[in-house]
Amino acid sequence: MTFYAPFCLPFLLGATFMFAALVWKWGRWLKRLPRKDKLLIRKGIFSSATLRAIREVLLESLIHRKICRVNPLLGYMHMSLAFGWFLLIVVGWIETVFYMGFKWVPVQGHVFFKYFATGIEHNAGFEFLMDFLLLMVLSGVALAWAKRFMSRRMGMRRTTRHVPGDRLALSVLWFIFPARLVAESLICALYGGGGFLTGSLGGVFAMVFPRDVLIYLNESSWWIYSWCLGLFFVALPFSRYMHIFTEIPLIFLRAYRLKSTEKVSSYDHFQIEACSRCGICIDPCQLQSVLGVNDVQSVYFLRDRRYHMLTREVADNCLMCGRCAERCPVGIDLNTLRLNSRDKIRNMPADRRYSYLNGIDRSSGTGKVGYFAGCMTLLTPRILDAMNRIFTASGDEVWWADKEGGVCCGRPLKLSGETDAARKMMEYNTDLFRKHGITTLVTSCPICLKVFREDYRLEGIEVIHHSEYILRLIRTGKLRLEHGSTPFTYHDPCELGRGSGIYDEPREVISAVGTLLEPRDTREHALCCGSSVANTAISDAQQLKIARSVTSELEDTGAEVIVTACPLCKKALSRGATHEVKDLAEIVAEAMKQKFS
Amino acid sequence: MAAINFGYTISKPRAIDIDRNNLRKSDEILREMPELQACIGCGACTAVCTAGCLTDFNIRRVHTLVRRGEYKGLYEELNKCMLCGKCRLVCPRGINTRGVIMLIKRKLGDF
Amino acid sequence: MKRVIIIGGGIAGMQSALKLKHRGIEPLIIEKETELGGKLRGWYVLFPSFTPASDVLNELRNQVQKAGIATRLNSTVESFDRDHVILKGGERLDCDAVILASGFTLFDARIKEEYGYGLYDNVYTSADIERMLNEGRVTMKNGERPKRIAFLHCVGSRDEKVCQKHCSKVCCITGVKQAVELKQFFPEADVFNFYMDIRMFGPGYEEMYREAQIRHNIHFVRGRISEASPTIDGRIQIKAEDTLTGRPLHMSVDMLILLIGMRANDDNASFARSAGLERAENGFFAPRDQFLGNVESNREGIFYAGTITAPKNIGESLNDAAAVADTVAQYLGA
Repeated sequence: MTFYAPFCLPFLLGATFMFAALVWKWGRWLKRLPRKDKLLIRKGIFSSATLRAIREVLLESLIHRKICRVNPLLGYMHMSLAFGWFLLIVVGWIETVFYMGFKWVPVQGHVFFKYFATGIEHNAGFEFLMDFLLLMVLSGVALAWAKRFMSRRMGMRRTTRHVPGDRLALSVLWFIFPARLVAESLICALYGGGGFLTGSLGGVFAMVFPRDVLIYLNESSWWIYSWCLGLFFVALPFSRYMHIFTEIPLIFLRAYRLKSTEKVSSYDHFQIEACSRCGICIDPCQLQSVLGVNDVQSVYFLRDRRYHMLTREVADNCLMCGRCAERCPVGIDLNTLRLNSRDKIRNMPADRRYSYLNGIDRSSGTGKVGYFAGCMTLLTPRILDAMNRIFTASGDEVWWADKEGGVCCGRPLKLSGETDAARKMMEYNTDLFRKHGITTLVTSCPICLKVFREDYRLEGIEVIHHSEYILRLIRTGKLRLEHGSTPFTYHDPCELGRGSGIYDEPREVISAVGTLLEPRDTREHALCCGSSVANTAISDAQQLKIARSVTSELEDTGAEVIVTACPLCKKALSRGATHEVKDLAEIVAEAMKQKFS
Repeated sequence: MAAINFGYTISKPRAIDIDRNNLRKSDEILREMPELQACIGCGACTAVCTAGCLTDFNIRRVHTLVRRGEYKGLYEELNKCMLCGKCRLVCPRGINTRGVIMLIKRKLGDF
Repeated sequence: MKRVIIIGGGIAGMQSALKLKHRGIEPLIIEKETELGGKLRGWYVLFPSFTPASDVLNELRNQVQKAGIATRLNSTVESFDRDHVILKGGERLDCDAVILASGFTLFDARIKEEYGYGLYDNVYTSADIERMLNEGRVTMKNGERPKRIAFLHCVGSRDEKVCQKHCSKVCCITGVKQAVELKQFFPEADVFNFYMDIRMFGPGYEEMYREAQIRHNIHFVRGRISEASPTIDGRIQIKAEDTLTGRPLHMSVDMLILLIGMRANDDNASFARSAGLERAENGFFAPRDQFLGNVESNREGIFYAGTITAPKNIGESLNDAAAVADTVAQYLGA
């Protein structure tokens, strides 16, 4: 049996080109990885991380488990295409081996096996299996067509707008499997065989067309099939379909604990090109749902960055609330990528900035417990007052870092992209904490909390949010609270919930003083108050509009008081609310049995 | 390097000379963020300013100077800002002060 | 006899009722409080003449009583249209026209959390000062005489952060009036007024401002206070920018007095919906025409008097009431 025919050429050239492009791209990205990332790979590759990665590749790249969870129909579409196609290749290969034994067969021999294997006795089992798999992929294609026209049915209110290269690849992809169906059916029409799908369709063809027409159609259809494959492979490295292959190394590198950082690095490429532009990130974005801004979402940001057309406007217009990252089926670290884009645009050497910080110390008190109120908390004195009363009740000696005004934690500056300048503030505050010998650092601002935990080097100092601190006091019996009948609802601050994974502590504290009513979007899916320091692009009116949409959802719970655990959220929500908005510390201080004057 | 003293100093004229000042950058800034024109100069931004507590940085004055075409030294002045965002929380006219600071820096620093 | 229902028994409501009665129209005042008088009941003396508020209030009340005007006290209006009013509880009152004179709401200073009202001792609102003046006892929390007093203008006015963009008009002159009053109470005290703009719109106001500067030695500082915090000895530390010198200004005071603004009532929204009335962006009702129809609504048979359409002083509200009586009489053909 010969395994060559001229029609294989487009496929062969396309496939060769694609693999060359993949090797070139990945090779370059890997080579340019920073040293410490390469070290991580070397350490991880022969560890259990590799096994975990393999498992994840199967679950995510093939079965698309996460998309299935967001939306089963959409998940099936991705799974049938990816897993179906994969099985077609694998089973096709087994089929070849079954018929030919372990004899070397060129790649086109596997792919176009039906064309070449006309003279052999067909196994009904394989015929059925291959037809079944083809049907599975075709059903995925049909859903993809449907998604174009009725995306809402698929659980997505908005779908992505694509670049021209994507459109070519997409169109070709849609035709690959119908072309394959027709080609295989025509072969069956001429030479018999085939399962329930190709066999039956072949029967119909055989009835409709005379043999010479069938021969002509057969030849053409294999050409078309090969061209579709070839064109798709050529377009793939330049289109969003690059994600099919890029997600695999990404999963491995992630298993080896490579991470994107505040500075752009080669690893970012793996994340950026692993984006399939599925558009799942568009719907959760409040800039889209509340303000109608629809060209800045993560999918567009990654697209623009990948094709080197990222504008400052797109990079800047993001709340960094993390709602999209929470849904991203590929698990791309969207906030960090956005952050290092901003760094690239705006960061300047900052050696000479903030020299005025030298020697400044405006802190007061002494104690092992340090309290960093944060800039925003100074504008919400009710939180300060409540914390003061809680500290008194706790019996802890407290060192107040910034009651009289301190130095910003540095996160707002970092989020704007001036990461080097932010370092100066981080160094200043670190020195201050060290100088006063604290062992616990409590903050009531989740923005500060996140930067203390992630960017400060505070070994030996435990950094906790006031919600954690209060809960600890309750559990150890240092704080005795009166359980009242007030129904509360809780707004998860982005930096505390999605940002720092603190969901349960505030809830437990609220439950200790009253009843907690959960809003519709809560915990990982909680809404952003709209006043995030990460966004310097939207106007005051737009912030207010978002705040109002959030408070209306919170007030729908029927709660009397909206509770949050962030001074900025409190400020923002107060503007939109008709109900009272309080910080967690306030409701705790009000419920304290101990009375202090 | 010590400046050579010729026995006299060139003192800057005290008046803001709008006829001489080049308002191109100022106009560009106002075009990108027209809300800046809503400032009523109440000074709340300067009063809360974290950096203003520690230095003579005065965001109200700096942005007013920009609007008059007096740009000299203002980029360095704005580099004192910590971008903490307190000013945005108190501005009675709802001006996106953090955005304004970043915009002025970009225009004056030409990046 | 034609019957007109007046919603709100403040000065505008009482004056409208009197003027209608004189024209032979039967007014009915609906008041949610236990007595007539509205906000005026809480004021001490009126700017710029220092006329006791009670003089005006008692005169109006006496006239209302003498004229035998029907009133429904302790009654809240649920909804209305031009020919009827429905009270909370469901009672329906029929009429031939409605005058909406339900006034304004004082801004809740607790919303401006950074000033510490309701949190720190010795932070008061202008309404608190009127009450204290009425009680004849203005002191610090601990009973001592204040040595340094700060007034802050524009609390809950001209402030987009609390969604009150409008100027409440009368707070500036109130601030000047109260500064003078407190200075007279405590001649030894220093009084500072922190302002963004001083708006002296009425007859005799500017003169009073000048008096306050020259005769009473009130200090006017151009800058908005941004934060207040308590000091260890129970005083208030305030921060502002002294914009005329371009430098931040910190000082501690014994009393901080917030000149709170006038905002639209919460029930304006439901009234507007039920009666099909148009409102301005700030929540006050929009008159049919700013010049030739400023006591008329966009709907026939529904009229406005007083601060339901915008912040106004007492004289303006009383004039509104006279104008609305005339307009209603014409509408009813009486």
